[in-house]
Amino acid sequence: MEESDTLRIVKEDILRILAEKAGKKSPLEFVKSEMKVSSSFISEAIKELEKENLIQVAKDSVGLTKQGQDSANSILEKHLTVERYLKKARSEGEAHEAAHILEHYISQEVVDNIKELSTLKKKGVPLTEFKFNREGIITNITFPDFTLFERVVSMGIAPGERIKITNRIGHTTIANVNGRFALGEDIARGIEVLEYERT
Amino acid sequence: MKELRVAIVGQPNVGKSCLLNALVGSRIVVSNYPGTTVELTQAKKVFDDTKIYFEDTPGIYSISDRSEEEKVTERALFNEKIDKAVVIADSTSLDRSLYVALQILEAQIPVIIALNFVEDAQKKGIRIDYEKLEGLLGIPIVPINPLTKKGISQLLDTIVKYESEAANIFSVEYDDDIEKAINGLSPRISGTRLPRRFVALRILEEDTDFEKYLEDKGVIELVRQGLDKHHPRVYEDIAITRYGTACFIAEKVTQIIALGKGGKKLRDKMDNILLGNIRGPLTSGLFLFVIFGVLLYLGNWIQGALMGLVESLLSSLSTAEPSIVNMVLVQGITGVAAGVSIALPYVFLFYLLLALLEDSGILSRFIVNAERFLGMLGLPGKAFIPLALGLGCTAPATTATRVVSSKKEQFHTASFFAFVPCSSRIALIMGVVGYFGGMELAFSVFATSLIAGLIWAFAIKRVTHPKSEPLLLELPPYRKPLIKNVVVKSWIRMREFVYIVIPFLVIGGVAYGILDTLGLTNIVVEPLSPITAWLGLPNVTIIPLIFGFLQKDLTGAMLISVVGTEISSVLTPIQIYTFGVAATIGIPCIIALGMLIKEFGFKKAILLAVTSIFYGLLLAGLIWRAILIF
Repeated sequence: MEESDTLRIVKEDILRILAEKAGKKSPLEFVKSEMKVSSSFISEAIKELEKENLIQVAKDSVGLTKQGQDSANSILEKHLTVERYLKKARSEGEAHEAAHILEHYISQEVVDNIKELSTLKKKGVPLTEFKFNREGIITNITFPDFTLFERVVSMGIAPGERIKITNRIGHTTIANVNGRFALGEDIARGIEVLEYERT
Repeated sequence: MKELRVAIVGQPNVGKSCLLNALVGSRIVVSNYPGTTVELTQAKKVFDDTKIYFEDTPGIYSISDRSEEEKVTERALFNEKIDKAVVIADSTSLDRSLYVALQILEAQIPVIIALNFVEDAQKKGIRIDYEKLEGLLGIPIVPINPLTKKGISQLLDTIVKYESEAANIFSVEYDDDIEKAINGLSPRISGTRLPRRFVALRILEEDTDFEKYLEDKGVIELVRQGLDKHHPRVYEDIAITRYGTACFIAEKVTQIIALGKGGKKLRDKMDNILLGNIRGPLTSGLFLFVIFGVLLYLGNWIQGALMGLVESLLSSLSTAEPSIVNMVLVQGITGVAAGVSIALPYVFLFYLLLALLEDSGILSRFIVNAERFLGMLGLPGKAFIPLALGLGCTAPATTATRVVSSKKEQFHTASFFAFVPCSSRIALIMGVVGYFGGMELAFSVFATSLIAGLIWAFAIKRVTHPKSEPLLLELPPYRKPLIKNVVVKSWIRMREFVYIVIPFLVIGGVAYGILDTLGLTNIVVEPLSPITAWLGLPNVTIIPLIFGFLQKDLTGAMLISVVGTEISSVLTPIQIYTFGVAATIGIPCIIALGMLIKEFGFKKAILLAVTSIFYGLLLAGLIWRAILIF
């Protein structure tokens, strides 16, 4: 295996925690208490980060190197972007936690898309009202019936994905999102979309 | 010899059946969950001193217990002992295929990914780094092309030799709160060979089937309370994380070189026609009309040829000394003949055309168009498949109602079989009503059946206000169907007809033969005379109506045997029409009833059969009276 994913996440989390402390050195204990994973993982991650010259370890405290600061900033930026975006639809606590998950997984393209969305004050419109043949980004998915959520997301219709309506037939919307789909009115109404303008 | 059970899993239209054919040839042996697309096909292959049992599961995007397709796959993977799973991934949309792979990995079932459509992806400028993907997931990846058999022997080799090492296998990490919840539930789980982490996740995803493994159900509430602050809808966060992980992995191993435009234009052009607001329903209707024309024309031609063969066989028997044995033999052969002469021409041709439409990608466009019309009747778009199959034979069409999501909607769809004439009823209308009463009368029977169906639909809609599940359907790219696949698929659907319907036809024929030889048929005539009186028909016509329920194809022959060959001189045109309507509307025969009982239980099936037959008789009696008045 190339690199254990858990280890990568732990490493990214350590960099982000250190960056949040604005460059100051932090006690190792503090880092451990923030992380909520077993300390053997943290020790391994710290060892690797030190080897990669991203952090400096002194007695019981750690700090970022110049190079580490740069990587940490990009992780922090990703986190803040996602968090800011999620706050629009969720409570602050929820957004922060959800951002913790997504920051490790979300692609740069989706982050860029979200960033663009975050700067806009506009909210998405239901797909049923979205313009024909224009490219949009899915900003939110909500259904009163929870069983639908996983089905829709696992089909590749998820927040941050680009979408374009190609046809409308009766109340059915035909849209391209990672493939072409026929979406009934109740589904299309639960998908919020914002027009995509690449700056 | 070593034995292995291997599930083949993947999203719809990813080429599962095609891969199965490439793996084992067309020696598909048993079907555990027969139906249309909701079936689990098993096939056996001996490779490298190992007996491999493949289970081809219905197309799914995720494994949950939401739809019938997902339930079948879920059962196949988790309730039965599966040694390995082959997940077929679409190289043109890797992220979506990885979602289901990640879910199966969570159950610690060894997974092998077979990457299909590699060439299609390359044409679109998509390159996938297999080795990197293998490294990231810790499982084998085999690029395949079932059409050219590329990668097939390598895949078989991998299936036999691959031993998973749990330590290397990728596992989705959820956020701290969710992980804490999983850890809170896990120690309380017992009584299953499935991994505790997996069961805990399923419980958090609100899959109530898994709650039975919890020693104390109260713990769910506790865990949920802990999650309420950050994850009020934890199933959403789990799904999003899993999808995010799939996207993340796909992005890491995918390189997009250039975006090809070729092929896309044809799809857009075709879709502009087939999915146009006005052109869509028109072309779909025209298409169906042509298909039906071809079916009737070709079917009629083949049926004529086959019937000629059977008749010469029967005439040699009828010259023999009349006896019970001879009588039973003649009726038995008539039953087989009826089965073969209908099955081969109509049902098989129909299934062949249906499979062609399905594999070319046209069927899903038809479903979108049908949704508008069926929606008005309170039915979901997917009901199009069983209803279309009903034009062949009601019995397999009943099982095909499983493509519709809820049991309630399945039963609602099945109730329309009373008005969708199967090939036997079509033969009756054309062969008896049309032949003796004229084509106008035959078409009036079809029209009456249609109108009766519409009245039924609107009455049910009025009373029950059915709420159909919203349409959510992937429209696959148009592809050239592979003839071998189409034939195998049609045969799988035909099997039910051959193994269940034909034996019943024989039994029905023999039963009638015995009763007739013993002179017992007349005992049903007197007590049921009020029915024939209501229909304005001679008393003896109850015999073909009753025995037609045993074997629909006997209706015409028995009508001739009770009133003589000069039907048009014994019955007036109105009586021929009334007989046609009474014999057409309603659940057609005992075989269909049996399938309804199997699918919906005794009470519901009987209720539907009795109500629909009563409705047909009521209408038939009312119409001829109305015609006489005007």
